Amino acid sequence: MGDARTRQIVRRLLLGVIGLLYVLSIPWYRRSGAEPELWLGFPDWVAVAIACYVGAAILNAVAWLLTEIPEDDAE
Amino acid sequence: MSFGTLGVLALGLYLVFLVAVSEFARRARVDQTPADHFLAARHLGTFVLLLTLYATAYSGNSLLGYPGEAYRRGFSWIMATGFMLSIVVVFHALVPKLRPIAIRGRFVTPGDWIRHRFGGEPAERPLRIVIGALMVLALANFLLAQLVAMGHVAHEVTGGALPFAVGVVGLAAVILFYETRGGMRAVAWTDAAQGVLMLVGLLVLLAWLLADGGGIAATTRKIAELRPAAVTVPDTVERMNWASTIVLLGLASVLYPQAIQRVFAARSAGSLRRALALMSFMPLTTTLVVTLIGLAAIPRFEALGTIEADTVMPRLLGAWAEEGPGARAMAIVVFIGALAAIMSTADSVLLSLGSLIAVDLFGRPGGAPDTTRFGKRAAAVVMGGAALFALAPPLTLWRLIELKMELLIQCVPAFLLALHWRRLGAAGCLAGAVVGTAIAAGGTLLGVKRLGGIHMGVIGLAANLVVAVAWSAFRPSGQVSAGPARSASAR
Repeated sequence: MGDARTRQIVRRLLLGVIGLLYVLSIPWYRRSGAEPELWLGFPDWVAVAIACYVGAAILNAVAWLLTEIPEDDAE
Repeated sequence: MSFGTLGVLALGLYLVFLVAVSEFARRARVDQTPADHFLAARHLGTFVLLLTLYATAYSGNSLLGYPGEAYRRGFSWIMATGFMLSIVVVFHALVPKLRPIAIRGRFVTPGDWIRHRFGGEPAERPLRIVIGALMVLALANFLLAQLVAMGHVAHEVTGGALPFAVGVVGLAAVILFYETRGGMRAVAWTDAAQGVLMLVGLLVLLAWLLADGGGIAATTRKIAELRPAAVTVPDTVERMNWASTIVLLGLASVLYPQAIQRVFAARSAGSLRRALALMSFMPLTTTLVVTLIGLAAIPRFEALGTIEADTVMPRLLGAWAEEGPGARAMAIVVFIGALAAIMSTADSVLLSLGSLIAVDLFGRPGGAPDTTRFGKRAAAVVMGGAALFALAPPLTLWRLIELKMELLIQCVPAFLLALHWRRLGAAGCLAGAVVGTAIAAGGTLLGVKRLGGIHMGVIGLAANLVVAVAWSAFRPSGQVSAGPARSASAR
């Protein structure tokens, strides 16, 4: 990945997408008490939540690898 | 060989291993300073750091409390995977800024940050004591939850041969022994071994559950027949609680003193970055798995009581062990993995408690060997008190976690806001923490856990932030700190 500034912008974008995935993981989009269909063996709203958390985990790992932690000059 | 005999043997072997590790760690120590005892002389590399972070974050709560809660609440407990991941996400707001300052200031405890950030302000000392007290209370509660979980598992793994009370007291004594002798090195090394055992154990358990229950779809259908509400879309209050729990756990867990101290103890920024990147996947391999374990227990054990539900995992393992010698041996591996996870969290908590009480509450000098001895004695006293409470657990493991988080989250402005907003003052921070804690504690005392699904601790944090920001925004600009005041080592 390019220079420090580009890495910082990409990292912030990733953190923003993670925030959106968190909002989407909660079934605000469904009616309370609705009967779910099964997706991959799970109730559909549970499958959506798991997919969101898998996506967030991948993006968060990439974001950590792009994170600058300045310290070596301090030691 | 019976399950109980095999369990006693495995437990004995494991305890011998722990004592041996503590002896190696004692010989590896560099000196008697708090930085060596409490932070392993700041030399934890990526692998050990990852496993110690993992074993510290995933505890008796994860292995007993979370399956119990999944059993009680049904599929909405998938929220646990989200909130455990949110911890590693929120670390982005803490680690990149705190780590360089901590390294420069040679920090040992979270209170060193308060001293550094607010040094020179009249309210700095009371703020440090209030934050220290909140952290000690939260940690003591955390320790209590670990001891309760430890007693349950030790009782089950020995087929009932070891009574609950003996498990609590005996294992507490073992933890105290190896933590006192080996410090952070012993804790981190045993955490690494415990982390591997826990990962292997949980993956084997998941494989058994999938094979035995006819797969996930069959299990979901059985749950839908027995308890339809566990499968249908949650109501608004439950969804609000889902969001509130992510906020509560995400913000409060990054302020675990033992987690902050691991940020201080990492060998380098690179080790820390890699360890946190890998930690992102742990909720998927651990929390998701234990949630499925709790759900799979619904068709097997209908109508367990509220407190009894915390024993869902030991009950599942007990049932598995009856299926033959191979299953028995694997169940023992999982049991020991679970016990390892619980003990690894308890030892980390104990280590942090000792340093917090000595340095932050009693103001002992951070660089003196006497402080290490004082911290060890203080930890022993707290451990004794927690063991007494653990003999008659008053609440579910999950409720104990919530209470701990509702206290810890009141420390958020002093760390997360203080790192990012220079204008924040000690007096505003102190006033906010007092107001937030009063709301969280008041709710608990009045028996009000949540309002509309939102935890009283989260409502308290909102008030805490309003007070801290308003108080600081209107203080004269001459009182605003120009930057870090002085280092911990310089005090």
